[in-house]
Amino acid sequence: MPTLDVAGKTIALNEEGFMEHPEEWDKAVAVALAEREGGIEELGPEHWAVIEYIRGFYLENELAPMVRKMCQTTGCTLKHIYELFPSGPAKGACKLAGLPKPDGCV
Amino acid sequence: MKNMSPRKRNPVECLPLATGSQEKARGDDLASVYDRRLKTYDPAGDNVRKFLDLLAVRINRSLAVSLVACVHCGMCVDSCHYALTHPGDSTMTPVYKADQIRRIFKRRLDWTGRIVPWWVHAATPASDEDLNRLKNIVFGTCSACRRCTLNCPMGVDTASLVRFTRGLLTELGIVPEGVFNVSRDEWETGNQMAVTPLDYLGTLQWMRDDLRTDPKLSGLEIPVVRPDCDFMYTINPREIKFDPRSIAQAAKIFHLAGERWTLPSAGWDQTNFGMYSGDDRLGGYIARNLYEAAVRLRAGRIVISECGHGFRSTRWEGYTWAEYDQNIPSESVVRTLKRYLKEQRIRVDKSKNALPVTFHDSCNIARSGGMTEEPRWVLNEVCSNFQEMHPNRTENYCCTGGGGLLSMAEYRPLRLESAAVKARQLEATGAKLVCTMCHNCVDGLNDVVKHYKLDMKIVQVLELVENALVY
Repeated sequence: MPTLDVAGKTIALNEEGFMEHPEEWDKAVAVALAEREGGIEELGPEHWAVIEYIRGFYLENELAPMVRKMCQTTGCTLKHIYELFPSGPAKGACKLAGLPKPDGCV
Repeated sequence: MKNMSPRKRNPVECLPLATGSQEKARGDDLASVYDRRLKTYDPAGDNVRKFLDLLAVRINRSLAVSLVACVHCGMCVDSCHYALTHPGDSTMTPVYKADQIRRIFKRRLDWTGRIVPWWVHAATPASDEDLNRLKNIVFGTCSACRRCTLNCPMGVDTASLVRFTRGLLTELGIVPEGVFNVSRDEWETGNQMAVTPLDYLGTLQWMRDDLRTDPKLSGLEIPVVRPDCDFMYTINPREIKFDPRSIAQAAKIFHLAGERWTLPSAGWDQTNFGMYSGDDRLGGYIARNLYEAAVRLRAGRIVISECGHGFRSTRWEGYTWAEYDQNIPSESVVRTLKRYLKEQRIRVDKSKNALPVTFHDSCNIARSGGMTEEPRWVLNEVCSNFQEMHPNRTENYCCTGGGGLLSMAEYRPLRLESAAVKARQLEATGAKLVCTMCHNCVDGLNDVVKHYKLDMKIVQVLELVENALVY
């Protein structure tokens, strides 16, 4: 099982790099996950807006939000989401927000 | 490119049965658990006996032929990407995987195994651990791509044996957690990502409004429940939940072609995890929802968006699972695109897609669906530099994410190891774009490209056609 070392903590990941224990998430973990994922130079304010929205939605509903809500809440276009997170909303944005792997064909 | 390393033993054999989601589903009093459509694991459930009883009830003539016809010639070994990337490891061969159900069949139902069990290696599972081990083999070491089936001189359908065995285990709740979760969502909500009706309509409206910002598309509609249309369009829930770009591309092309089309309000999910889990009841439930929607809307035909297992389950297998008369024709959207191009209902400029592009045949569309030429015809119309991949068509290698494997993260390391053969095949094309007509293949191939550090982008047919449009 892969792990991620962040500021002295060991974070367990699943085989696809999603967090095994989403409650361990914090911003430092998101930065480390972004480095591991690749394709993102630095997490900027737009990245954080999307990540924080997804995180909040997940804590309230225990599931990943629709990409429509990610876009409409943060003011990002769909195209821009893919520019911010090259792996896409599920495998990119949701992963960085510390969500477990979404179910289904993703 | 990574080196292939032979393994001594099957690397997934020891994975335990994860039941966290099952316990939660029982605790949540889900209707599908209560009325036993969705099965959960019961440690005191006398599972070995149930497994053997079910095997005897469900076995049919074509499965029995596949069980007795194997002569262990080994031809399947050279067909399988797991076996090719693990030389010397017999547990990675199709024949080994099929033998795990074959030996149980022989012990219980075939005369050879009753009289000379040691000769035919007949044996029955002794415990739930044995059943769990069987689960790891049939779910974790086979993508059900059917390449071995096509190349078997005896006609042994190993992938059908794998699906059959998956179905027996699903009845006992002995399934990977990912498969359980998706089955739960399908039973509970009618679609595999638990998309609500409001979210479905909201996303369609969003895409419509987005497209209308183009002044040339100001009259564009994404119609829902419009009766008497030429076709009813059906999609993969991920197109709603995570990536509606493909819906926008399709809607734009349909609009420019002057199509009369509609989406249904329910029964729009053309994917079907019953196919992966081997649960014909779930398969029939999902397929029936879709067929009935087409009848309700009096649609001229059913058009299936770019999805491999969705195409196979909706166009072929679903009618059997649902015991439903096939009286409305169905087709892949790629065939619809071919019609538009042929009848010049849309205009394209192929120089807009100038990068070298190759085509990856989805197993469920080419090998199991018989459709190989239409996508090539379309790509040659909309791309200026098309290059064939070898082998191709019905002999193509799996994206390695088939058979539901993308939803089972626990088997991912073995899957990516086995993808070395796919990576070499992709690299040899020299293409920059890999086009495929399956969402699952998009993700499977993206994993391969990333893992083996190939400089390639994965695209779909709709995307390339939309990019080439002149309007």
